[in-house]
Amino acid sequence: MTLLLRAIVAPDDAAVVDDIGLTTVFGAAVAALASPWDKALAAEEGELLEHHRIIQSVFERVPCLPARFGSVFPDADALHSRLVEREVDFASQLARLGRRCELAITCAWRDKGVPSPVSIVPASTGRAYLERGLKRTRSDREREVRAEAIVGRLLSELATERSFVRHRTCPRPAVAVSMSVLVTRDEIGGISSRLERLGAQLPDVTIVVQGPWAPYTFAVSE
Amino acid sequence: MTREPATLDVPLVELVDRLLNRGVVLTGELTISVAGVDLIYLGLSVVLSSVDTIRRAGAEV
Repeated sequence: MTLLLRAIVAPDDAAVVDDIGLTTVFGAAVAALASPWDKALAAEEGELLEHHRIIQSVFERVPCLPARFGSVFPDADALHSRLVEREVDFASQLARLGRRCELAITCAWRDKGVPSPVSIVPASTGRAYLERGLKRTRSDREREVRAEAIVGRLLSELATERSFVRHRTCPRPAVAVSMSVLVTRDEIGGISSRLERLGAQLPDVTIVVQGPWAPYTFAVSE
Repeated sequence: MTREPATLDVPLVELVDRLLNRGVVLTGELTISVAGVDLIYLGLSVVLSSVDTIRRAGAEV
């Protein structure tokens, strides 16, 4: 029976989520939670959101390492053999992350991120083409500098351990900063309030906070 | 936080980014399908074409 990996948990925690209906494969130090999978793997609406829903169901009850969508195994034995190769690392990560969860903080440009329709009209001359390119390069650089400044403001407001923060600047045209923060649940209210106040001081971006999620960004594969 | 039209896609894309780019991996290469086409997974860009279909359910998450 093909299995799709959902999450890694401590062995003793596997029984706590038994009613979710997942297949459990035990190693000595961790257990893998997986779903039977009998169709083609597609990164589409139903599968992705179901993956997230299952991980969140587990994470609401016990600490877990969320699996990146798409880890499939031909059977439980194959999953077990891969699990035991990595279980020391996974157990270490579970201990390190504990009950901490991930907040996703996104700063979206209010109006400057999306190129105007005019910019995709072909240039009439080579000079116009080059000037347009230069203007765009300068604009991109200005946005990058501004995004770095916003990161500084966010880090100041968060006042958390630097290893608990990951960020990217300008990952997409509409986004200035995409940040992930590892927090405890009792920190969420205070962080949200501080970010709301910060958002009111930043005229060029809108801050969107999502979570708490399982620690996707901080559960890593070496 | 205030939600404006320009940011309506942000929540879904941020979630999809994490589901497909982050989290632990136990297999070497991941092969997934987007819109019926098998792809070796490279990054978020390969799934942007499926965002339109995902968006409809995004508000439920």
